[in-house]
Amino acid sequence: MFKSGNHGDPVPNRERTRKRFYGSPEMETARKPDIGESRSESMHGWCGKILRVDLSRGKISNEALDPQVARDYIGARGFGIYYLRREVDPACDPLGPENKIVMAAGPLTGTAAPTGARYVVTTKSPLTGAITCSNSGGNFPAELKKSGHDVIIIEGRSATPVYLWIDGDRVELRPAGHLWGKTTHETDDALRGETHAKAKTAVIGPAGEKQVLFAAIMNDRDRAAGRAGVGAVMGSKNLKAVVVRGEGEVSLADPVAFKAANTKYREAFKAKTQDNPPPLRVHGTAITVVGTQSHGVFPTRNFQQGTFEGWESIYGETLTRKYLVRAKPCFSCPIACGRVTRIPDGPYQGEGEGPEYETVYALGSDCGVDDLAALTKANYECNELGLDTISMGSAIACAMELYEKGYLKESEIGMPLPWGDGAALVKLARMTARREGFGNILAEGSRRLAARCGHPELAMVAKGLDFAGYDPRGEQGMGLAYATSPIGGSHMRGDPAYFELLGVPVAVDPHTWEDKPPLVAKWQDLFSVIDAAGLCVFFSVRYLVEQNLMVKPVGITELLNGATGAGYSPEEVERAGERIVNAERLFLLAAGFTRKDDSLPPRITREPMPAGPAKGLVCRLEEMLVPYYKLRGWTPEGEPSEAKLKELGLL
Amino acid sequence: MKVHVHPFANLRDYAPTGKGSFELSLADGATVADVFATLRIPSTVEAVILVNGRRADQTTPLAAGDEVTLFPPMEGG
Repeated sequence: MFKSGNHGDPVPNRERTRKRFYGSPEMETARKPDIGESRSESMHGWCGKILRVDLSRGKISNEALDPQVARDYIGARGFGIYYLRREVDPACDPLGPENKIVMAAGPLTGTAAPTGARYVVTTKSPLTGAITCSNSGGNFPAELKKSGHDVIIIEGRSATPVYLWIDGDRVELRPAGHLWGKTTHETDDALRGETHAKAKTAVIGPAGEKQVLFAAIMNDRDRAAGRAGVGAVMGSKNLKAVVVRGEGEVSLADPVAFKAANTKYREAFKAKTQDNPPPLRVHGTAITVVGTQSHGVFPTRNFQQGTFEGWESIYGETLTRKYLVRAKPCFSCPIACGRVTRIPDGPYQGEGEGPEYETVYALGSDCGVDDLAALTKANYECNELGLDTISMGSAIACAMELYEKGYLKESEIGMPLPWGDGAALVKLARMTARREGFGNILAEGSRRLAARCGHPELAMVAKGLDFAGYDPRGEQGMGLAYATSPIGGSHMRGDPAYFELLGVPVAVDPHTWEDKPPLVAKWQDLFSVIDAAGLCVFFSVRYLVEQNLMVKPVGITELLNGATGAGYSPEEVERAGERIVNAERLFLLAAGFTRKDDSLPPRITREPMPAGPAKGLVCRLEEMLVPYYKLRGWTPEGEPSEAKLKELGLL
Repeated sequence: MKVHVHPFANLRDYAPTGKGSFELSLADGATVADVFATLRIPSTVEAVILVNGRRADQTTPLAAGDEVTLFPPMEGG
């Protein structure tokens, strides 16, 4: 599949980089007044248009989206792996010009579908060497669709800092030297000032510029495509930002059917929430602490414990009471889980968004910090500097344990680093983003830090990506999900916490492992579908799938068909999800990953949980992996069989 | 017998006094369903139920000193 790209070309001179492209003949052919005319006549839901940006040559071009690719891969995450496999050598240097960034929206992104707000950034990760596909909401993704584009493929490397300005079908690269070094918020302010007040931005902060291996791409100021260093890849390309303005509407194949489905599922949401106010709207995702702490899987002190004595000081209800200003929805979202917060006074005074549950775990319990103001302030810093809060917190937690055990000296850190030191969170985030002092070591992430100190087993990672906020010893399915996720230790590639902890759609015993392989596989495929469609899992898992463990994507299929006219069956949609998972697996294998990388640290598989409701348990990963591979149609070595690839059209 | 009840989020609205954790007196042989009946939690209100940190349901029998945790199903974290 890999075809060599046009990399390594002489870099353009500054003049050429400055060139405005919408006057070029190439772009002339693509200039159309609205989405409806610029897309392929037969395409709805999808715009039918790919924007290719060659930063080495300073060249921008349009390509048509292949309708068969659209149908087979649905969009967003599906398009990401399709183009990455086609165009990027899995063995490439992630921070070299040969790596590419695929930013892609789904067919429901930018429509009125509930939570049709998402896009996915796919690239080869500098943190892990694996694929990463980071997902984000806000308003930027919908705006991208309204500008008439499904996909942006960013390739090469600019000689000098630039940003991409997409004003409908007029697209240009502009110098960004004056923005280099600025925070994400400063950059957003400046870019909207020099383009359009209503433009939407996706930017990197100082962390991305310095190629911190877990730098994020921040869109709409505080929403993050956070995981596995997508921001570092953008920084390596000297691309500071993508700015987009679109005034078109996404064309619908069958507006009547689409509206009927949309109304039906929004009404179902309203009916259920009449007696059940959505916890995520009232308290944000940080309410999830109740679920993890109660089950004894709230990671504490670098996963040494599964319960945190200070949990009530940092969970969602406390956040609501102390610092919540208002709930903030993404585009077209009825839930509104986003948190606008303010710390009115004290050493951590500030205002911003968050913290989310994952941040409360990573910068809170995992570091033994029960000071909500400190971890919220550290969250603000991460957002403004462009850092993934999960990997930042996890790296600090790892450093704290290395320090506790005497494997990391105070002289190496430059300060003491005891558990619970809230001030250190803020300080280390700032140092990491700018690679100052010990921050330069933290910037490489927990895996490299632990290895450097001679104790790689103390990095709580899968495939080098830091775990989310769930200890797999008391939640067996999560262990299998971490180990087999294509991007490493993420909960968002088939989140078993829904059925193991949170009661959605039904409750399953989190301690059993025998029943988990088929559930994890099914949910991984489902999450691929949700990500590909451009939806958010928070709404989708409760309202757009059948409410049993097989989670047939009936509602998603209805919405997809109304938007695209593709005439999908739910089974075909599920199959597309499975295709995406297998395609991602193929990229991993080609990048050199093997069965042994489907692993968890020995703490999780061999050290029994010391206390709490999950006391005495370890994660039974090996027992789950064998049946998991088998039911996936993979060999005992974890490679998709020829028959499976043929069935999915991946041969 | 007495059990300890820990309600969260909207389930706090059914706590007899204040909105925090409380002790509840139940007849011997009571189940989780008796907690719901005593607190008058409507059947339309959804709850995830844990007894001593383990997954439970309405039929789960209770013993003196049990810790009963109630929280709404959540759409994720």
